[in-house]
Formats: sequence, structure tokens, C-alpha cells
Amino acid sequence: MQNKKAKILTVLLFLLPFLLTLASLSIGRFHIPPKDLGRTIIQAISPTPGSEVPTAYRDILFRIRLPRLLLALMAGAALSVSGASLQALFKNPLVNEYILGISFGAAFGAALSIVFLGKNFPTQIAAFVFALSAVFAVLMISGRSESHTVSLLLTGVIISAFFQALLSLVEFFANPYALQALFFWLLGSLSLATWKDLSISLPIMAGGVVALILMRWRLNVLSLSEEEAKSMGVNVRREKLLVILLTSMITAAATAVAGVIGWIGLIVPHLVRMMVGADNRKVIPLSAALGASVLIIADDITRVAATFEIPIGILTSIIGIPFFIILLKRSRKVWL
Amino acid sequence: MSIEVRGLSFGYKDFRLSVERLRFESGQVTSIVGRNGAGKSTFLKCLAGVVPVPKQSLFLGGRDLSSLKAQERAKLVSYVPQEMTLALNYGILDFVLMGRAAFISPFSVPSREDLRAAGEALHFVGLEGFEKRDFSQLSSGERRLVLIARTLAQSAEVLLLDEPTTFLDPKHEVEVMGICRKLASEKDKTVVVTLHNLEMAVKYSDSMVFMKMGKVVASGKPNEVLDADLLEQVYDIPMKIVPFDGRNIILR
Repeated sequence: MQNKKAKILTVLLFLLPFLLTLASLSIGRFHIPPKDLGRTIIQAISPTPGSEVPTAYRDILFRIRLPRLLLALMAGAALSVSGASLQALFKNPLVNEYILGISFGAAFGAALSIVFLGKNFPTQIAAFVFALSAVFAVLMISGRSESHTVSLLLTGVIISAFFQALLSLVEFFANPYALQALFFWLLGSLSLATWKDLSISLPIMAGGVVALILMRWRLNVLSLSEEEAKSMGVNVRREKLLVILLTSMITAAATAVAGVIGWIGLIVPHLVRMMVGADNRKVIPLSAALGASVLIIADDITRVAATFEIPIGILTSIIGIPFFIILLKRSRKVWL
Repeated sequence: MSIEVRGLSFGYKDFRLSVERLRFESGQVTSIVGRNGAGKSTFLKCLAGVVPVPKQSLFLGGRDLSSLKAQERAKLVSYVPQEMTLALNYGILDFVLMGRAAFISPFSVPSREDLRAAGEALHFVGLEGFEKRDFSQLSSGERRLVLIARTLAQSAEVLLLDEPTTFLDPKHEVEVMGICRKLASEKDKTVVVTLHNLEMAVKYSDSMVFMKMGKVVASGKPNEVLDADLLEQVYDIPMKIVPFDGRNIILR
């Protein structure tokens, strides 16, 4: 009985992002009825004369909504998977890319790239370099000791603050024109998504997420103490480095186009653990599905809630954190 | 598979372990005893290969331990650390399955065969029916047994257990030592444990190793090597050995 329920829940969770993507295509300031939505998609795949749809539909769907939805889908999956992986790797349910400084390292790198190298140079490169610098700085300062949970978090906060300060410095020196672009991007926004940005970021995120999903069981073993994992035949150094590279890579790719979208990487994996337990074989793929869904829903809200657009990074924090606190208080089951 | 120690020297800043010559035989339980800080755990970690051991000092069935890759080594030697904390609350079967890591690619998941090995290991320690429970629901005695099961799932020839009976009630203590005994005599494993309970060591082991300040001061069969002078030398307090009911009771 319990088993069957869990299976149904799992299937539903995996279907959710796809259903939401379809539904969200018709949502927006400009409503497209589902019937016309279907016709527009069919027309785009195999154009048949005689059943033309308004060209506005095509433009809205394929130039604006689809790239934006794909970005929400992939960024949600990427940030959640990277949060879940980092929690296992660092044996610490409190870490995520945000707390380890990866997000702000990436944001600083991307900002630096926009201001000094121009909008045409891919921002993902600098974002990745500084995301890695941030996480390695955290690791080196907090020390190698296993028990240093607190020192890891403290160092993460400090390094994050440091990169935030550097980011402000970049903003300070940026010209007003670049500053405006920086401002909206930094608060976390999917509205700037263009196919050109996505053509770099989407494959990186997809590749990293797939690699981490493949490593899902190994992450169970990596969540044991270093000595235990070693005694079981794991090359801990090498595999730890691989997971850090992958998580930094997908976080940098997401941050470079969508800005800093906080807390998704902390909240989503915990929601999944509350539902299915700690086994990363389930937690990693389900975090991808739930993370994608959550970010699509959040983006739908920013698109329809007000006449102006609320940056999604603000929304995820304002809604996500209280939601998480409620669940934390209500849940009687131990899932950690 | 036997372990042979030849001139092992390993240390940290203010501690050095040095063991000249020692052999651990298959089919036998060997207990390492000594005071806290005598180097028992460090010795075990060296044998497990989880610390960087010097070349040509430890041999597993004739092969130099330091030349083995982690994955190869894990198929020969398994190790249960003294303390363990679990950041995430895994199910018992999932936890025992982790012992199969050496047989599973980093980019893959456990197979049916791995699942079977984990189930068998749980059965061996008498915890069948515990598969679906969570780690947090277990008593410390049951946790020890689950840890031993995980080691068994690794199906290595050598099992190293660091203080497997500490914090356990007498019943679980006997159970754990019984399992060690069974592993040696029924499965011909090489079992090495560190212990503080001397009576347990005398009763359950084929061979004892006494350590003090990073060195082995005596080793051999319990009844041949054990005497009050040795105990006083090792533990720095006077002890007495009293024969009772065909066994040796150690008084302090």
C-alpha cells in the first residue's frame, strides 16, 4: 500500500514539469487559448496551408515564452540537483550552492564579464571560474577536518559576503546603462532569456544534471565519512572534485543567465526527502523534477501577478522560506 | 587471506606507530588491546589502507597493500570505524548496500546481485526484517550490527573492526563477538578487532596483541601470553588474573 502510493507520487512528480510547461505556454499577459496553442505548435512542426494561426502567437510562443520556460525548467532542475548533491557530498543538510559561495562567486564572475568584456562575450566562462574560486576558497579556509560543519558554514557565509562586496564594486564602476541590466539580472530574472544565452547555458545545465543523476547512488556512499568511503573502495578525492566541478558548472550556467535565485537548492531537496526518504537514488532525480516545477510555477506567478514583473529571485526567497518553515514545523517524521 | 606486517612505521606530529613484525591469520579472530591512545585505531587504519601507508610494510596475501588501488583493496579488506555519524537518515537496506561500492561503477546503481548480497549480510547478523527501517530508529547495538552487515556486504576476506563492542549492553556485546567468531570459523575470514573488554578478548579471540605507546609489547595466544605483569605494564594499574569455572577472570 505504502509502496504503491510512493510509486504513484514519483510518477506524478516526474510528469509535473512537462504538464506545467504545456500549461504555462498559454499563461501570460497575452492569453493564448489551449486550442490555438496546439495549432501553433503543430503549424510550427509541419506547416499546412489553410490552417494558419496569427503570427503574434508564433512570436510570443517561440521567441518569448518557450526560451523562458526552458530556462525555468533547466535552472530549477540544476539548482535543486546541485543543492541535493552538495548536501550529500558535504554530509551537511544545511549547505547549498548559495551558502557555499558558489552562487555569488558565479554572479561576480558574470557581472565582471558583462561590464568589462561586453555583452557579446559568453558570461558563463567567468561565472564558472569565479564559482570554482569561491568554493575552493571555502574548502581551503574551513580546513579538511570532517567535523568542521560549523566552520564550513561560517566560511561559506564569509566568502559569499566577500564576493557580494566585489560584485557591488563592479556595479559601482559600471556605467549607468550596464548597471540597469546588471540590476535586474542579479535579482534573479528569467525575462532576459534569449536563445543566444540559452544555447550555451542549457546544454551545460542539462549535461551536468544528467551526470549528477548518473552519480545518484554514488552520492550515498560519498555522504559517509571520508575514511568509510575510502575503505569501501571509493577514490574520494577524485570523485569529490568531480561533484564540485559539476555542481559549480551548472550553478554558474544558471546564474549567468538567470541571476542569483536563492533557496531553491536548499528547499527542494528537503521537500523531496520529506516525501521519499534520504536515498539519493530517488532524491537526485526527483529534486530535478520538483525543482523544475517549482521554478516554472514561480515564473508563472511573476508573469501574471502584477502589471510589472517581480524578480523571481525575490519571489523564491519570500515564498520559499516561510513554506519551508511551515513544513519543518509540521513534519513529524524524521527525514534527516 | 593473511596480513603480514614488516617494519611498519606511521605517525602524526606527536605520535608514532611502529610495528616490527606481526601476522594476522585467516580463520582467526585477533584482538588488539591497550590503553586509549596506544595506537590501536591508528594501526587498524593502516591495515585498512585508509591512511597513506608506507611502501613495503604491509602485505595482504603476499601483495603490497600500498600498491593496491582503492577499489582492489576494498575487495580484500573491509573496515568498521569506531565512531560514525550519518548526516542523512538512510534506510537500513540502502545503508548496507553502500558496502557494495567497490563492485559498482560511480555512474551506476546497485544490481540485483548487490541487493542479494546486502540482504544476506543483514540475515547473517540476524537483522532480517529491518530492511525498511531508518537508521535513526535503531539502538546503538543494532547500529553496530548494521555496520557489520555493511562490511559483510563488501565480501572482503579481511574484516577490521574498531571497538565494535563499546557502548553496547552485555547481550549485544556477546552477539557482536559471536558474529566475529562465526566469521572466522565458518567463513575463514581474517578478523581483527580492537577491544577494551579483556575478558571478551580472552574468550573470543585466537590471538591477542598488546599495544603501548605505538608499539606492540606482546602477542600470542590469549592463555599463553596473558599474565598479571604484562597487564600492569600495558595498563599502568595493577591487575589480577583469577581462574574461575575454567576461565580467566581479570580483576582490577
